[in-house]
Amino acid sequence: MSDTLVQISNAVIEGRVKDAPGLTHNALQAGLTAKDILDKGLMPGMDVVGAEFKKGKKFVPEVLLSARTMQASLDILKPLLAEAGAKMTGKVVVGTVKGDLHDIGKNLVGMMLEGSGFEVVDLGKDVAPEKFVDAVKKEKPNIVAMSALLTTTMRSMGHTVTALKEAGLRDAVKIMIGGAPVTADFAAQIGADAYAPNAPAAAELAKKFVSA
Amino acid sequence: MRVNYQTNSAVQFQILTDDQRQEIFRSALQVMEHTGIEVHNEEALSVLKAQGAAVEGTRARIPGYLVQRALSTAPSMFTVYSREGNTAKNITIGPNHINYGPGPTCPNFRDARTNERRKYLRRDATDVARVCDALPNIDFVESLGTINDVNIDLADVYEFADMIANTGKPIVAWSYTLETCRDIHQIAAAVAGGEDKLRQKPNYIFYAEPLSPLVSSREAADKLLYCSKHRIPIIYTPCPMCGGTAPTTSAGILVTAMCESLHGLVISQAISPGTPFVMGGVVSIMDMLSSVLAYGAPELALQSAAITEMARYVGLPVWSTAGCTDSKLVDEQAGIESALSILLAGLSGANLAHDVGFIESALTGSLQMATMSDEIIGYVKRILRGIEVTPETLATQVIQEVGPGGHYLGTDHTLGHFKTQFYFPQLMDRSRWEEWEAMGHPSMGDRVQMRVNDILDTHEPALLAPEVKKQIEDILAKAEARYRD
Repeated sequence: MSDTLVQISNAVIEGRVKDAPGLTHNALQAGLTAKDILDKGLMPGMDVVGAEFKKGKKFVPEVLLSARTMQASLDILKPLLAEAGAKMTGKVVVGTVKGDLHDIGKNLVGMMLEGSGFEVVDLGKDVAPEKFVDAVKKEKPNIVAMSALLTTTMRSMGHTVTALKEAGLRDAVKIMIGGAPVTADFAAQIGADAYAPNAPAAAELAKKFVSA
Repeated sequence: MRVNYQTNSAVQFQILTDDQRQEIFRSALQVMEHTGIEVHNEEALSVLKAQGAAVEGTRARIPGYLVQRALSTAPSMFTVYSREGNTAKNITIGPNHINYGPGPTCPNFRDARTNERRKYLRRDATDVARVCDALPNIDFVESLGTINDVNIDLADVYEFADMIANTGKPIVAWSYTLETCRDIHQIAAAVAGGEDKLRQKPNYIFYAEPLSPLVSSREAADKLLYCSKHRIPIIYTPCPMCGGTAPTTSAGILVTAMCESLHGLVISQAISPGTPFVMGGVVSIMDMLSSVLAYGAPELALQSAAITEMARYVGLPVWSTAGCTDSKLVDEQAGIESALSILLAGLSGANLAHDVGFIESALTGSLQMATMSDEIIGYVKRILRGIEVTPETLATQVIQEVGPGGHYLGTDHTLGHFKTQFYFPQLMDRSRWEEWEAMGHPSMGDRVQMRVNDILDTHEPALLAPEVKKQIEDILAKAEARYRD
């Protein structure tokens, strides 16, 4: 691997947001493609971050900083990736469900998914079931990821799954859910495909869905 | 500039008022002068007599001015040094400094790997030293047991030799007799590189114990005299039990425990003014059903904190007690009792809080208990750091930047502070259910055992130089030779 790519990986691992644009431009000038920078620089860096987090050696604020570093590079790469028609890992529609205004968790998941090479469509918070349905029709994602922090709002997740079923879209997507009160049992109960306990786990799960 | 502004840089805690401390101290002086102390040691008695004590037979009645004079020469603070020359492992013993460590001389031990209850063996001293060397919140080391599988008369010497080889942290030593006290001192000198160097930078403290109520045995006084002559820092403290060997009341045990330490202070300072001297003790109650000295009683935590206040009041360092339990297991009772005594020891500012790792009312030593208590000490130290109030910690700027409805996770303020503001547990579990299940749903006990195993598998203490090892072997061989004829 070239030094430039190693430097980009390290910038992601160490969360050096300010270094990301310069390093990305250098890599492009050196003749590397946007896809190379993503696949061989940014994503291996995020893989290390995810593994360290799992081991308890990196903490949530640091993971977030790494994800931001990656995003700073992606801001430059995205138009080039689109131009070249490069294929991303997959596409995920994310949102905090209806009635719930909490979005830290959802934002973290979004960033980790981008860190894993996904294109993320963020619907924001307090997202009604029909908005998820519209987004699936329009964006044609591989995955719908829903978040809720409150026991009172987690039922909206079930309503969204039902809405997708009624629109005939349930089998077109994988559905994953998360948030403090949410459990694997609850995911099964409402007919979602899976549950992830934290943001890096969500990114891993999403990767499994698209590679399956 | 902030003016006329008061800050606390630690959590504040106090049991006794100034008037109460004065009264307890006055009462101790009165008891020493009127009731007096039984001292079964000719040399110690003659020292006391020469100082101005009224000696009748073995009874020494010690006037208050002798205690005051001894207090004026004893240091309120001293340092014990790591044999590695590692300043992070030195311990400061004095006001506002807390140190925690295990205790000595339990007959039984919980095997470090299997948790089986059995006799304490020689290899256990090595395990205890290595694990304590690795535990971040253990500051000084004792053995958690008395070795059963060597020449019993030299168990104390073997223990010290094996411990100092396996930890760079200062050791608190004990001995059966004056002879073995000398052996231990020779080993410490060999490790320090000579008697002179040891005197400048002591790598151990010696522990000797007067009897309650109000007695110094010949052996205890012998060791006190020897340490004073060699300027070895000495802990001279009793283990009284309220209702048994001390009055039932907390104020009463404070009075007798002070007398039991302070007559030793008078002897030590008469022989060698300025010798570091530590007062205190295991000041607990006799359980009125089982008759054991209770190591997990609330009275132990309370009275230990109070005797710490008394020591600070008279300007001496204190030997306190924490991290121990009457439970047979490292279970819920052990956790509760350990947490309370460790917290009160910390709040009161106990300079040397020992017996971390005792279970079964000090009859069994347990590295599992010591390891769990290490985490409790970590929690307590975090609490004791208190709350810093500055423009930076008030955070109004970042509150403005984030605004309503935002979040603080990715801010420089969070990144800059979370690692120092938050305590990161080593053993306590805060994972989510699924993560915990994936780990094999370990209980606290399981996690403690994993940590002990991990330290035993991986931790390598700094080695002694081969020539020092040889000297220690020679000292042990000479000691054995005394028993051959």
